[in-house]
Amino acid sequence: MLAQATVNGILLGGLYGLATVGFSMVWGVMGVINLAHTSFIMLGAYVTYFLFEKLGMDPIVSMPFAMAAMFVLGYGIQRFILNGVIRTSLLLSLVVTFGIDLVLTDATILAFTSDVRSVNASYASTSVAMFGTLVPLVRLLAAGMSLVLGVAFFVFLRRASLGQAILATALDREMSNLMGINPQKVFALTAGAGAALAGAAGSLSSMLFPVSPTMGVSFIAAVFVITVLGGIGSVEGCIVAGFLYGLVQAWAAYFLGTSYQEIVAFALFLAVLILRPQGLFGRAFFGEHA
Amino acid sequence: MSGTAVLERPAKVPVFRPVVWMAVAVGLVVLCLAPLGISAYWLRVLTTVLMYVVITQGLNVIVGITGYHAFGNGVFFGIGAYACGSSMAAGAPFAAGVLAAVAVSAACALILGWPILRLKGHYFAIATVALNLAAIQIVIQIGGITGGAQGLALPLSTWEPKPLYVAIYYLMLAGAVVSTAIVALLLKLPLGFALRAIRDSERAAAVMGIDTTKAKVFAWAISAAMTGFAGGVWAYWITFIEPSSAFDPGVGVKAYIMLIIGGMGSILGPVIGAFVLEIVSTLVWGGFLKAHQLILGLLIIVICIVAPNGIVDAGTRLARSWRSRHGAA
Repeated sequence: MLAQATVNGILLGGLYGLATVGFSMVWGVMGVINLAHTSFIMLGAYVTYFLFEKLGMDPIVSMPFAMAAMFVLGYGIQRFILNGVIRTSLLLSLVVTFGIDLVLTDATILAFTSDVRSVNASYASTSVAMFGTLVPLVRLLAAGMSLVLGVAFFVFLRRASLGQAILATALDREMSNLMGINPQKVFALTAGAGAALAGAAGSLSSMLFPVSPTMGVSFIAAVFVITVLGGIGSVEGCIVAGFLYGLVQAWAAYFLGTSYQEIVAFALFLAVLILRPQGLFGRAFFGEHA
Repeated sequence: MSGTAVLERPAKVPVFRPVVWMAVAVGLVVLCLAPLGISAYWLRVLTTVLMYVVITQGLNVIVGITGYHAFGNGVFFGIGAYACGSSMAAGAPFAAGVLAAVAVSAACALILGWPILRLKGHYFAIATVALNLAAIQIVIQIGGITGGAQGLALPLSTWEPKPLYVAIYYLMLAGAVVSTAIVALLLKLPLGFALRAIRDSERAAAVMGIDTTKAKVFAWAISAAMTGFAGGVWAYWITFIEPSSAFDPGVGVKAYIMLIIGGMGSILGPVIGAFVLEIVSTLVWGGFLKAHQLILGLLIIVICIVAPNGIVDAGTRLARSWRSRHGAA
């Protein structure tokens, strides 16, 4: 039983890690806490649901479409709303993104009603035997794809020139501006990429969880805890912290009971914030210009 | 941060002073007489508005004056509600319950403030949100006198509903007046100067000899006491509380938006913000039953873009630019 709980927790943690990467990057690069981030996850799941229902498209195949749609949305919101707001006050962005979250959630309810939907791929009930445990194939797929996307984004930041521009802006905004990098464009690009990754996480989670306009709420705690645990703005930290968070949650449920899961998560969160605010793996410079 | 916004603010034009005092006096008289002539529905709406005046003034102390963005200050609303509810369930009278609400909330802020107020900027903001969310789970786990996940029913009053609701209205009105007076007084006291110095530059304040930790913790305790009062009275008003309604993060977030609408760090800003947002959202709710959240969200976005320093500030700016264009002749 313990082995089963451990494997399930780790696999779920992979998905949580991917759901957090975009949020953490946006916070690290421009200091914005994007409360609408979980709405991007929810909308990504709806894109997948829609394509699955209308065209019978497999969630893995429709994931790029969800990512593209969320990239456009994230880019647009940053370009036309948030870039103007963060020039006046950073903390105002907290309120604005709260407003955006209200709008996106309510628009989804109006468009799709608040009915709970589900995406049942043909292999939804298949399981794989691993280390003496039975692992559902969809969970394995979700964790695997999450890891692939996380690593791909990490490589993109380190190798591609656009990624380098994002990292440079996170490190020193004024200096990167002097080097010919336009921070406004980098911000929009980061927000778009962050939203795209959230959309991918939504796509993958539609195979695991029911799809509803309020499904994003269940990600909020995980997203905050993993961001702080991994170090703000650190992709590799996010991925590792995601697995760690999944493991801690699974063990808390196993040893203490499911009702203690949240308490353990928040205790971990507050402890890390107070004792090691740069996160377990982060360095102190990211997100410091808040 | 908020420091720059304050530096930009011009010296107050003295001509406005008497007008403001007149408006405050007229407003108070109207609010005192209001229960005589309005329906039960609008009495409820106005009581909610006044409750939010108290909560927003509490937030004003820590956010507007001290510059620590306690996004999850609603935690003290819940603590107040549960302190009042639990002590009344144990047999204490309502007055003792409200006192307990104020005292327990302030004590919690004193204890929690010590480690948490060391965090700055966003870190402090989200730590308070985590506190708010954790409180829901903690109350569920404690169970016992708090009622746990099943919620807590407060003893019913022996009064008739109508005079009881009017009494609670006046209690909230008194709370709103007192909390506004506390903010006005605080701005005149040395503590208020210390807090504003911390907001503009914490390091400079420390260099000037201010015990910044002590000042910040005191400020949060005052803020928590006000918020706890609102929570305690609210608990008796609705007579049934549960963890997710008492510790609703929306309470703190809504007060934060009201503070932005009214203008941070001012005395009357939170009052204006509470009235504007609550009455507008009530009207929107009535007019657009399905899309009210969408419209509220759009409203928040537009206000933050158009008037990031509050509608009072935006209004005076607009008036000044209009006068410099037309009134010069």
